[in-house]
Amino acid sequence: MQLPPFAYHRPASLDEALARLSTAGDSVAALGGGTDLLINLKLRLERPRALVSVRDLPELAGVSLDASGTLRIGAGERLTDLAAHPLIVVPYPGLAQAIRAVGSQHVRNMATLGGNLCLPTRCWYTNQSENWRGSQLPCWKTDGQVCHVIKTAPNCRAIHSADSVPALISLGARVLLRSSQGERELLLADFYRDDGIENNVLAPGELITAVLVPPARVRSTFVKAAARTGLDYGYATLAGALTGSNRVPKSLLLVAGSVGTMPLVLQKPAQIILAEGLNEAGIEAAADAVRDDLGEVTNLFTPPGYKKRLMRGLVRRVLHELRRQKLPAAD
Amino acid sequence: MASRKADFSVVGHDQPRLDGAHKLTGRSLFTDDVVLPGMLHAKIVRSPFARARILGIDTSAALALPGVKAVITHADAPKLYVGIEQPLFRHTIVNYIGDEVAAVAALDEATAAEAAALIKVEYEPLPALFNIQDALKADALLIHAKAKGNIAWQQAQDLGDVELGFANSAHVRTDQYTTHASHNCYAEFHVAIADWSLPDKLSMWTPTQTAILFQKSLAGALRLSDGQVRIMSLNTGGGFTGRTSVRPHHYVAAVLSRKTGRPVKIRATADEEFIACRAGGEVKYTFRTGVSATGQIKAFEADISFDTGAYVESQMIVLTLTSSYIHSLYKIEAARYSGRLVHTNNIPYYFHHGGGLAQMAFGLGQHMDALARELGMDPVDFHLRNGVTKGYTSMTGTFFGSCGLAECITKTAKQAGWKRKYGKLPPLKGIGIGVGAMASGAKGVFKHDTSAAFIKIVDDGTMSLFVGLPDMGQSSHTAMAMIAAEVLGAQASDITVISGDTDIVPLDVGALIQRGTFNTGNAVKSAALDARKQLEVLAAGRLGVKPSQLVFRDRQVYPKGQPEKAIPLKKIVYDTLHSREGRFVMGRGFYNSPKDSGTMAYSFGAQIAEVTIDPDTGFVTVDRIVASHDVGRAINPRIVEGQIDGQVFSGMSQVLYEETLLEDGQVMNPSRLDYRLPRSYEMPKVEHIIVESIDPFGPFGAKEVGEGPIVCTLPAVANAVANALGEPVNEMPITPWKILQILGRRAKG
Repeated sequence: MQLPPFAYHRPASLDEALARLSTAGDSVAALGGGTDLLINLKLRLERPRALVSVRDLPELAGVSLDASGTLRIGAGERLTDLAAHPLIVVPYPGLAQAIRAVGSQHVRNMATLGGNLCLPTRCWYTNQSENWRGSQLPCWKTDGQVCHVIKTAPNCRAIHSADSVPALISLGARVLLRSSQGERELLLADFYRDDGIENNVLAPGELITAVLVPPARVRSTFVKAAARTGLDYGYATLAGALTGSNRVPKSLLLVAGSVGTMPLVLQKPAQIILAEGLNEAGIEAAADAVRDDLGEVTNLFTPPGYKKRLMRGLVRRVLHELRRQKLPAAD
Repeated sequence: MASRKADFSVVGHDQPRLDGAHKLTGRSLFTDDVVLPGMLHAKIVRSPFARARILGIDTSAALALPGVKAVITHADAPKLYVGIEQPLFRHTIVNYIGDEVAAVAALDEATAAEAAALIKVEYEPLPALFNIQDALKADALLIHAKAKGNIAWQQAQDLGDVELGFANSAHVRTDQYTTHASHNCYAEFHVAIADWSLPDKLSMWTPTQTAILFQKSLAGALRLSDGQVRIMSLNTGGGFTGRTSVRPHHYVAAVLSRKTGRPVKIRATADEEFIACRAGGEVKYTFRTGVSATGQIKAFEADISFDTGAYVESQMIVLTLTSSYIHSLYKIEAARYSGRLVHTNNIPYYFHHGGGLAQMAFGLGQHMDALARELGMDPVDFHLRNGVTKGYTSMTGTFFGSCGLAECITKTAKQAGWKRKYGKLPPLKGIGIGVGAMASGAKGVFKHDTSAAFIKIVDDGTMSLFVGLPDMGQSSHTAMAMIAAEVLGAQASDITVISGDTDIVPLDVGALIQRGTFNTGNAVKSAALDARKQLEVLAAGRLGVKPSQLVFRDRQVYPKGQPEKAIPLKKIVYDTLHSREGRFVMGRGFYNSPKDSGTMAYSFGAQIAEVTIDPDTGFVTVDRIVASHDVGRAINPRIVEGQIDGQVFSGMSQVLYEETLLEDGQVMNPSRLDYRLPRSYEMPKVEHIIVESIDPFGPFGAKEVGEGPIVCTLPAVANAVANALGEPVNEMPITPWKILQILGRRAKG
């Protein structure tokens, strides 16, 4: 498959990039590592008139701690570098695991964090060649009126499967968004929308410039259930981050990925652990409770029922790991 | 003939593959590397419907596109058939998603793709059939008028008194199994370049397992003589029985080349790769076996239905192969077989490893294991009691001149710690055994099963060996060089193997039915002996001994027991040429099985797998495989181990991972991303035990190792999963969801 024709811009500064992105609206796309965008161009799922490369913008680079202890990660940072960065590996093992779970080494060498946060949703009715799609009715994503994943759905129900996202949400991360109009900051948990097409709140011409992880002494972990080691989307993923002790946990965020159109914060299992403590009985009760949180699970890439059974196992696994884990040493 | 490893200087020693450096550094050439002057690029227009009537085809917009050189449809090749009831292009009814309707040739691939999209085909969708059950219903629509009941081909046979055998059985057990569609995931995609610019010569570059069958098929269908068709295969990136016959894209390239007068290249895109060749399943098996109270098989019955998809070409061979398999493994007194190929509107079926035998072994091995358990018998003892032995002649007439089956079973069981572990592992840990047999070639394709070889020796002592056997990754060319080197006292690296051009190399039926080492190996040995005879004349004279007393070894020639008198081999060659006679040394040889039909030798194997089931995810990890194989003699032990590893990987992968998911005839996972072939991380630890039974008919006693291991891996892994789970899963692949479902059902009680 070949790329369609497009114009290519490589601006030298963030302002120039934002100007490029805002002038032509929808038909311009920001190009980070290109590990997903270029494939979608080949599949003719997106047809931008121009690509604006943001991969080497200095404003999107850097990993640093500010005076308050907030970790700032530039959106243009490569996943390979982040997976090994001491400011991530030591305090946030769950985030490092999640980043390492993306694609393969080759993919992570190119892919950026900002790109992973904006990874489009995916399904096997649409993420196929144009010829292949010729056998199917067009769906919401291809200007049709149907979702092949959930036939009765009024919108696109393709799956969100960016591995870094559940881990960042579990840590309470925020994102910085910039456009030529200005800057705004919001919780990453509020960045996503329950729609496979308009999957996030990014406005036309807007770009993620950085991710902010608030200071906290947390235990964190991430598991991905995928058929093979690397180069695969998960059947489901789960990130967990905990403050406090096993006996008296103060906060717990459990965030599932690859189960629906947006990342899912699991409420009931977390409430049970906060009430019962992180112990054997609490873990089993939390695992049993996850079914109620899942609601309508997209049975894509797996048959009905599996993701609910699997998520029960992943809750158990993540909670056991958090229970075992020692709190990262303070500086 | 010498029989100990020490008696050989090349055979039986680890030899790095001769093309290893080329492969590793990307210098090995494949068909896709070939660029010819004026070469055009082709694309096929395929049906988007599983079954539909063609109402009209409008090619005008495509023809008007600049750069387009030709568009062809059924009208360009109305009498060209690529399979039974399969004309090259459809013009009335399409029968599967991917069916060929038209093709276009253009200056470049992008223009060809653009033009293909401009060809407007109007369809009227029709009802279609997507599985065996529906296709076999009495009132089912008929996909092909001549295939009554949608049965494309069937075969049935009784050997011995089957009813009596069952009547005399103390226990009778019946099991049913299903294997789902899968794909071979060739390292090299389907590709062909045809040059038919002159009417009396068609040259084609393409990966193949058998150039001669390609040559004959193309010549027959295109009304040329065999000699007018030249097949060139450079390296072939994987075979797995899937590259044994010409497929539509080969004909498309040829017809477009004739029409344009220019060479035409066609290659599959990533998703076409899954459409061009569906390998394996869906297959439904019913096995019924009767045994005596002591576990002796008295009667066996198999009924097998293959979803053969929209068309058949040569797939009927699968019925012959699956019907005879049981006789190569167990001593059977009575057997009944019924098998059929059933048409559906799925992609045409082709084979995945071993012509359908690997998939059959998934169920057959579990069936025998279950039978043994039912009798309260250890499966190891069951296989030992019933397995064929050296000197036995089966009821199909096969004589087993060598047989290391029992040795494989006992050695594998010992190394794996079977007695310590079987039935004694903790929950969710399992151990299982799989045994298998595999033919080293067989007569049946033609009246002959010939391989031939030439060898020429130049006066610096280096040699060129000409064989028709392709190397599709199995390192057969290195093995052939080793056999010639052993006979001539040379080193394998002294020999250049020339292959893959039917205008140059001698005839060879090809790399199929695991015949390479046995048949071509015997031909190479014969050619090398012929060349040696020509050198012996001079050498015997110089050394003053009879030719029979000469030893050719380590690039030297000397009288037996007197290495100090050695003359360098290259000096003998040089002096033979630079003589009054001026003899240029050229050896020739061929091998053809002396039997009228069937196989000269079988290889045997036994594997024991250990697995762990993860109760949280349902994932199965294969922790260890002990693999023991009777290969007659290991010509190149390092490569024998590599062959075992490759097949363990593929067998494990077929049992646990691989499935071509079809939804109303469309492949839902037509990519290496979504067709979840595992990676090297998932490769289990393999311990190899090579058993050498020294076959009386094989070259230096060698037999095949091309498919023998995989028929053991599938049942070993499946039985280990059943052992860990406490119940068998009779459907392949055994997916995490099937496992979690079983564990969930059990937890509920």
